[in-house]
Amino acid sequence: MPKSVLVVDDEPNILLSLEYLMKRAGYDVRLARDGEEALAAIAASPPDLVLLDINIPKFNGYEVCQAIRANADLNNVRILMVTAKGREVEIEKGLALGADGYETKPFSTKALAARVQALLDGTGT
Amino acid sequence: MLENLSLRLRIFLFFGLIAIAVPVLLGAGLWLAAQRLEGNPVPHLVLFGGGAGFALIGIITWVWMMFDANVAKPIQSIVRDLQTIMHANPKHELKTEPARYLGLLAPVVREVADAFATARRDVAAEIAQATQSLDEQRNQLEAILRELNEGVIVCNADHRVLLYNRRALQILQTTEDLGLGRPLFTMLNRQPFILTLDRLTTRYLEGRHTTHRDHLMTQLVFATKDGGLILEGRMSLIVHDDDKTVRGYVLTFDDVTTELQALVKADRLMRDALEGLRHPVANIRAAVEMLTESPEIDAQGRAAFEHVLIDETATMSREIERIGSEYRAAVTSHWPMSDVDSGNLLNCLTRRYRDDDSIIVDIVGQSTWLHCDSNTIVELVDHVIRKALVTLDAETFQLSATAGERNTYVDVTWKGGVASPGMLERWLAEPIERGGLGLTGKEILEHHHSELWCMATEDGHARLRLPLPLPVDPHVATTSTAPLPIRIEFYDFDLLDRIETGELGERRLRDLTYVVFDTETTGLEPSNGDEIIQIAGVRILNGRILTGEAFDHLVDPGRRVPPLATRITGISEEMVKGKPKIADILPRFHDYVGDAVLVAHNAAFDMKFLELKQDLCQLRFDNPVLDTVLLSAIVHDHTDQHTLDAVAERFSVEIPPETRHTAIGDALATAGVLLKLIDLLEVHGITTLGEALTASKKIIEIRRQQARY
Repeated sequence: MPKSVLVVDDEPNILLSLEYLMKRAGYDVRLARDGEEALAAIAASPPDLVLLDINIPKFNGYEVCQAIRANADLNNVRILMVTAKGREVEIEKGLALGADGYETKPFSTKALAARVQALLDGTGT
Repeated sequence: MLENLSLRLRIFLFFGLIAIAVPVLLGAGLWLAAQRLEGNPVPHLVLFGGGAGFALIGIITWVWMMFDANVAKPIQSIVRDLQTIMHANPKHELKTEPARYLGLLAPVVREVADAFATARRDVAAEIAQATQSLDEQRNQLEAILRELNEGVIVCNADHRVLLYNRRALQILQTTEDLGLGRPLFTMLNRQPFILTLDRLTTRYLEGRHTTHRDHLMTQLVFATKDGGLILEGRMSLIVHDDDKTVRGYVLTFDDVTTELQALVKADRLMRDALEGLRHPVANIRAAVEMLTESPEIDAQGRAAFEHVLIDETATMSREIERIGSEYRAAVTSHWPMSDVDSGNLLNCLTRRYRDDDSIIVDIVGQSTWLHCDSNTIVELVDHVIRKALVTLDAETFQLSATAGERNTYVDVTWKGGVASPGMLERWLAEPIERGGLGLTGKEILEHHHSELWCMATEDGHARLRLPLPLPVDPHVATTSTAPLPIRIEFYDFDLLDRIETGELGERRLRDLTYVVFDTETTGLEPSNGDEIIQIAGVRILNGRILTGEAFDHLVDPGRRVPPLATRITGISEEMVKGKPKIADILPRFHDYVGDAVLVAHNAAFDMKFLELKQDLCQLRFDNPVLDTVLLSAIVHDHTDQHTLDAVAERFSVEIPPETRHTAIGDALATAGVLLKLIDLLEVHGITTLGEALTASKKIIEIRRQQARY
């Protein structure tokens, strides 16, 4: 059974590429355009990994992240934050709130795919 | 002519005259008698007359000696004592013992002296009382000036310093190069001041200042001579409207080195970013347009354009990454921040809850340093604590601060629920009144380039974490800058009107600038390899000892320090090891001395040490030199005791025992003695430097002749 990935971002242009990228890598891909949609999708069926943008409407990425970590049933969900915020203190905040990794925009799709792969294999952070 | 001779010499001459007159008259009388006497009386006359004559001369000599010892000498001693009492030290003890044969003279003089001392004390007390309120006002002004967070320097029109404050010393990172009465250009670049003063003077003389927006003030940027600091300041003229002259100027300034560098860097980054991104964007746009608008393009051509897209987007990503990280490193917050001890910061917080029983806030752990605007941060943390109290039922809070690699973390830990990011976001969106200036928590965080989050700890508590910048300066447990002495001479407005005229030798002793110094050495023979281990000096300006501008350095002699030297000076080999060598210190001392008159107690000794090192340092101490031993001998020749201790005691100059035989202690004592000596020298008619030097030379000559016998 293929691993499942939830891509959360409010920018359609990047969603297009990320959806394609993840599908090509063989994952089962779902999309969410804000925090509320993301939490609903996770509650419906927990994915193996969430590609999470921070600046999204309704609940921001930090909130989604902490909500996932607050639920013991979702312990196995990996979280990779993807954001244009590049300051060290923001990265530190994301990791403190339970993210497993952090990629800043712009990123190389190849590197991102490798990062997702590593997190799902349990070999990378 | 007789009036110029000393009392003792005049009396000696008087008795001498008698001693000559008696045998002459006796001889003449006997000779006349011999003419008239019968027989051969000559042998008898010669025998008895001569005997009587010699007896008379003997008696006269004896009377003279008694007179000299019991009348002339005591009178002279009383006169000297009186001079000391009147001009230098009213508490000086009048010696009555030598004058015991002068009847009531000594007791009466003593009474008069006591009455004089009392009267002087009363006058002094009255003056003290009258000046006290003046002093208080001055102290307040001084305190304000001292604590001003801007550097302040006031100069006269010759660019000599009349006033400076503590902040000026801090900004310029010096205590030795900036001094009252010294040229400003010892450490600052000359050109901006000359030009700016010239411009302002012209504005004033042409009367344009009355309509000018800045009146008599203008901005200027200047630098230290070594180029290490760039400073931004304002120059305001001090003018005398009656005779339309420029008396000097006030300079207020701040160190803008870091700010300017950051601005320049941010500016360059912005330019780089625009130019750096223009190229890849142009390339991408062209390639995309070619791809989409040319259906006829073949596979090979398509591949080439696609390669351009991949290549240029990678370039752009790298460029953004680079600019982002450089920008963060270069541009610090424009919000005013300072290094703060976390203990002080957290104490400010706990004080707020002391009278509130519903909330308990404690500080745990060690204190550390951080860089922030403490007022708004205290408000921010207080705001969050009160929100947690209301929203999360937390009651007991623990505050701590930990230094990390990139930040110092201020943590607030409580037993209770964790504040979610969304909750924090809402708390931070509220404006904070009181000391928060109406800013929102979010804005305060942005000023500090920071974020705030809350997480659960392993033992079930909630921990709010606030990362703040690390301190700019490295701090140790105690304050890093040594406290300056309490009473410091920061200003001297007499300099405003001081015009330097005439040859140095003709200038009055009390108007001169002195550097009184002392050296401690490994021994007494510089020619035999003894070296300086400590050198200290203080400046005297307009009759005031500028204790705040002292020069005080240990020197590594590059040789063993004998135990005897350590016992006398308290300076051991370990204390001087690794200190600067004399070749480094002497040029700094030379700069410190400038064109002042050098003074030392037994100056010949110290000068010999300096002179032996002159060639090594390629400099010359050709300043005039005064020796307090010689000056003391001029005014107190009736005593042989001219050691620093004896002279200081005579003048009531106190040397704290712990500073005796330290270079700075002895230099300060010598400076005190010098001021008293200048008063006394005037009584002896010695008022100019030239006269003091001539009188000193005479004393040397007398001592040399005495040494011969």
